Amino acid sequence: MKNGPSPLALILRANLISSGRRLLALRHQSRLLVAVISCFLIGYLFLSFQLFHVGLRFIGRFPGLGSLLVERLIFLLFACLFFLLLLSNLIISYTNLFRNRETSFLLTLPVPVSTVFTWKLIESTLLASWAFLFLIAPLLAAYGIVNHVAWHFYPVTLLLVVIFLVIPATLGAAGAIALGRYMDRKAFQIAAVAGLLASLILIGLRFRPEPVADEQLEARMQAVIDRLLVNTRFAQSPILPSYWLSAGIQNWAEGALHAAGFFVLVLFSHSLFLARLATQFLGSPFADAATQVQCRGSLFIEWAWFRRLELQRAAMTAELRNTFADLATPGHPTSRKPGPTWFPVDRLDQILRWVGLAPDTRAIVTKDIRVFWRDTTQWGQTVLLFGLLAVYVINLRHFTRQLDSQFWVSLVSFLNLGACALNVATITTRFVFPQFSLEGRRVWVVGMAPMGLARAFRIKFWLATTVALALTLSLTILSGHLLRLDASRISFFAIAITVMTFTLNAIAVGLGVLYPNFRETNPSKIVSGFGGTFCLVLSFLYIFASVVILAVGSPWGWRDLDPQPARAALAWTSFSLVSLLAGAIPYRLGLRKAANTEL
Amino acid sequence: MIELVDLVKDFGEVRAVDGITLNVQRGEFFCVLGPNAAGKTTTIKMLVGLIRPTRGSARIAGFDVQAQPLEARRRLAYVPDFPFLYDKLTPWEFLRFTGQLFQMEEQPLAAAPAPLIRRFQLEEWLHKPIESLSHGTRQRVAIASALLHDPEVFVIDEPMVGLDPHHARVVKDTLRERASRGMTVFLSTHQTSVAEEMADRVGIIHRGRLIAAGTPAELHRAAGTDGTLERAFLSITEGERATAPQALG
Repeated sequence: MKNGPSPLALILRANLISSGRRLLALRHQSRLLVAVISCFLIGYLFLSFQLFHVGLRFIGRFPGLGSLLVERLIFLLFACLFFLLLLSNLIISYTNLFRNRETSFLLTLPVPVSTVFTWKLIESTLLASWAFLFLIAPLLAAYGIVNHVAWHFYPVTLLLVVIFLVIPATLGAAGAIALGRYMDRKAFQIAAVAGLLASLILIGLRFRPEPVADEQLEARMQAVIDRLLVNTRFAQSPILPSYWLSAGIQNWAEGALHAAGFFVLVLFSHSLFLARLATQFLGSPFADAATQVQCRGSLFIEWAWFRRLELQRAAMTAELRNTFADLATPGHPTSRKPGPTWFPVDRLDQILRWVGLAPDTRAIVTKDIRVFWRDTTQWGQTVLLFGLLAVYVINLRHFTRQLDSQFWVSLVSFLNLGACALNVATITTRFVFPQFSLEGRRVWVVGMAPMGLARAFRIKFWLATTVALALTLSLTILSGHLLRLDASRISFFAIAITVMTFTLNAIAVGLGVLYPNFRETNPSKIVSGFGGTFCLVLSFLYIFASVVILAVGSPWGWRDLDPQPARAALAWTSFSLVSLLAGAIPYRLGLRKAANTEL
Repeated sequence: MIELVDLVKDFGEVRAVDGITLNVQRGEFFCVLGPNAAGKTTTIKMLVGLIRPTRGSARIAGFDVQAQPLEARRRLAYVPDFPFLYDKLTPWEFLRFTGQLFQMEEQPLAAAPAPLIRRFQLEEWLHKPIESLSHGTRQRVAIASALLHDPEVFVIDEPMVGLDPHHARVVKDTLRERASRGMTVFLSTHQTSVAEEMADRVGIIHRGRLIAAGTPAELHRAAGTDGTLERAFLSITEGERATAPQALG
């Protein structure tokens, strides 16, 4: 035996090499696509920096209140991000610790379980936190420039943020171990979705915009600001790690190095303490939980109604088995008469038959709906997404009080169109894009059937579009009513969102076939690959272009100007053309590839 | 070398492994046969320490798998039916990685892969990413890397899946040779022909219980059959099925 590199160093090295090669593999992708994605990312950084810069300068100029408002906003932003990071770390740690093949492999090697846990903690932290760094980098850069900070502000801030990330990571991992130990996966997912929805509803009801009259603003500014910000006070609780980070950054920016140093030390000591605690003591509970996750029956079995349901299912299975056994025994008269009555009635198929779908279409649609419904992660994320939208829609009605000019009505309604379309893009990228890849090794089942892959491709497109359209049209009409738009405007946005839904689904279905990943079974990982990123980028660019074109050519004009029908017609022609190109090209290419796929 | 004592594993209300007690000697080639969902893989997972038994214990080379996991795993190699390999590494890098994790000295680590690479005919693939390899080649890489540190106990689940007859022969010969040099092999399979050809002793697991164990000849005697091991296996498991209570209904 020797004193070579530690097991952790070896595992880190193997994974670094793998990640490096994954990045290098981009060389084999189309240069145009890589350039589009790179431009989008750089564009995001630049645009968000500009927005933060202008926003911070604008708020900072409020007489007597600017710095207070900026300070509150920074506290609020980091507090919200802290809770999001906590949730993100919890979910990613759970999957990474208990549903990961590398973990199982490492646990069979002579590697201490604490080392395996430490590596998985590092990996989960990176996976859960990179987007956070990407999101806040432009904000911190803008904050530094607006406040004319010294050069050392930037490296110190980066260091502080990295130290801060350790806290939600360790707490998230500890939470994941506790959940793994005491809850089965289904119960955890249902509890998580229910908890999140409850939180969202609570937030939606609690954080309502405060209407402020002009005379109030003139008379008692300070009191009004206090009232407006009363719901944000939680962000300044000194027990929150986000408070230490925000206070550290702001004090450093102001040159109050002693005060900043205090918060840096508080943050640093807590991060070190938690990291030490996690790597030293969570290894064994992790091993315990890993066994529990693999071996536990459903928690629902504790409940009488679930046991009754299971017994009914078991009885039905036994009945089927006995019937088949009787049928398979020649010369033995059966005591049961097999018939359709003892087979479970396929209500979904009956409904689809009533709609008039062909048998092969019904087969694909029924299969896709069932697979989606039985995958808790899939519908859990959908529910979460629509929960967020519910909060958005609940709050829309409060905007109507401020919509007293043509400009604001147009601005809010076009932004609403953008929000609805972004929601569709998220759904199509997350759920529709990976559909073809998820067929994976099972693709031959459909491919060898008389219908062929091309028809299956079209069915998937129509199914996804129909479901998405039902949601987006309802959402657009509802939000139009909440914004008190007239019938002509609601019709305008309903037609626009219909066209956009068709286009976004065509992009997702087409690119899903053009960039399949048959190796991966996890839809989240399929989406996070090159094809999924390209799908999201293309969808966002299309939405941005469409909303800008339609807004510029708004038939109602801006600032109470006369309507300009010629400009509106030109805008609609351009919008239709952009939609046709953005949707038809990936759709046609995808269809061609599906038709020519070699099984 | 392998000791299983009254091993029990419950999955919720289902008892997957029900009181298995077994001793496998040094250098012995032991095959486990059983129908689907019999409890073979669960038994293996407890043996290699991936899951904890509800009751009982598993020992490897005298070390309790739960109480002294590192000591036990140093002497163990495990290849599951679908082994994990780092897709972006090459077979050469993966071999070195596993050797280093088993704390092999640099000199043996440099020398040990060559015969295995030759034996499993991996030369052509050695510096290509694992993601580009066929299932059979990946299986050979996994077996070669598991044998690299010269384990005392080799546990393998369905080793012949995806292997062509030629490479299946290579794997069988290699494991047989290693067993004759003192390595204990614990192999789980559905293929009675593999067990018949390779095993010193065969155990049959059915509904979580070890219902028979012995040499192929002893199993024939117990089942009252002759000819292939398949007949003995079917006779023993059918007899067990007839006497076992119905699970449902």
